[in-house]
Amino acid sequence: MRALIAALVLGSTMLIAPPALADEQPAEPDGGSAETKEDAAEERAAQFVGVRGPEAESVPGGALMLGAYAIVWALLFLYLMRMRGLQRNTAEELERLSAEIRASGGS
Amino acid sequence: MNRPRQSGSSTAWSLILFATLALFAVTLYWIFVVAPVEQQMGIVQKIFYFHVPSAYAMYIGFGVSAVGSAVYLLKRDPKWDALGVAGAEVGSLFCLIVLLTGPLWARKAWGVWWTWDPRLTTTLLAGMIFAAYLSLRSMGSAGEVEKRFAAGLALFGLVDLPLIHYSVQRWRGVHPTVITGKGGGLESEMYWALGLSFIAFTGLAVLLIWARASAERQREQTAELRFELMHR
Repeated sequence: MRALIAALVLGSTMLIAPPALADEQPAEPDGGSAETKEDAAEERAAQFVGVRGPEAESVPGGALMLGAYAIVWALLFLYLMRMRGLQRNTAEELERLSAEIRASGGS
Repeated sequence: MNRPRQSGSSTAWSLILFATLALFAVTLYWIFVVAPVEQQMGIVQKIFYFHVPSAYAMYIGFGVSAVGSAVYLLKRDPKWDALGVAGAEVGSLFCLIVLLTGPLWARKAWGVWWTWDPRLTTTLLAGMIFAAYLSLRSMGSAGEVEKRFAAGLALFGLVDLPLIHYSVQRWRGVHPTVITGKGGGLESEMYWALGLSFIAFTGLAVLLIWARASAERQREQTAELRFELMHR
């Protein structure tokens, strides 16, 4: 009798187990995920979705402000250098003319 | 900087120099410490405190150039011609500052570096007119004809200055009108920062024009002396 019961349990287990395992459909590590990735790649390539609202683009205000103030000081500095150069040229020219006057014995 | 040589004017020049330097220090303190950050634009709005007074200094420079040129055309006195050159050069310097700092603000506020707004366009036009003036004057030692032609160009440039100012009202541009026209105004700390900056830039413009005119006059006198020596 025990042998009969054991045979029935074994037989029913062998009959039920394959359909039960097939119904579970566990995640397949290789083939299935590749297909999913392909679908996602197709989605990314197929459309661009814009960000709506004020967060559309972030412009660095601090850097722009620093740039503006740097431009002001740099241009002023360059202009002062230009005036210094102009003054030096005039002084050199005056020196040369003075030397010419002295050499010619004029007053 | 080329300091004016006469003793009385030298003292006045030094006084203006020290006052201007002190004012710039106070102005920078007000801009970055006292004046609040603007609610909508954020910290980039602080460009405004140097941008607008630079535009004002540009008006001073170009205005002085036009006045100097007009008097030179009437009297033919070289000192007025030197004033015309100095005003054009200093005005162009501040015009360049305006045209470079404005787009940095516009990139944040408008999303573009440049747009053909009436005020921007007329400012660029003024810069180009006085750039032409300076190009004409920089071609070797300018003769009498070149000086007179350049003086006429400066007077032509003067016509553009009111257009810059009133272009926003007349042609409905996108340029802000916070302190002119029907603008909403500023908070009191912002007004103080801007007011101090206006005074500091006025002092700077006066100093630069004064020094440049003095240098130009000395250069002209040296050229005259050289000419006399050559033909003696």
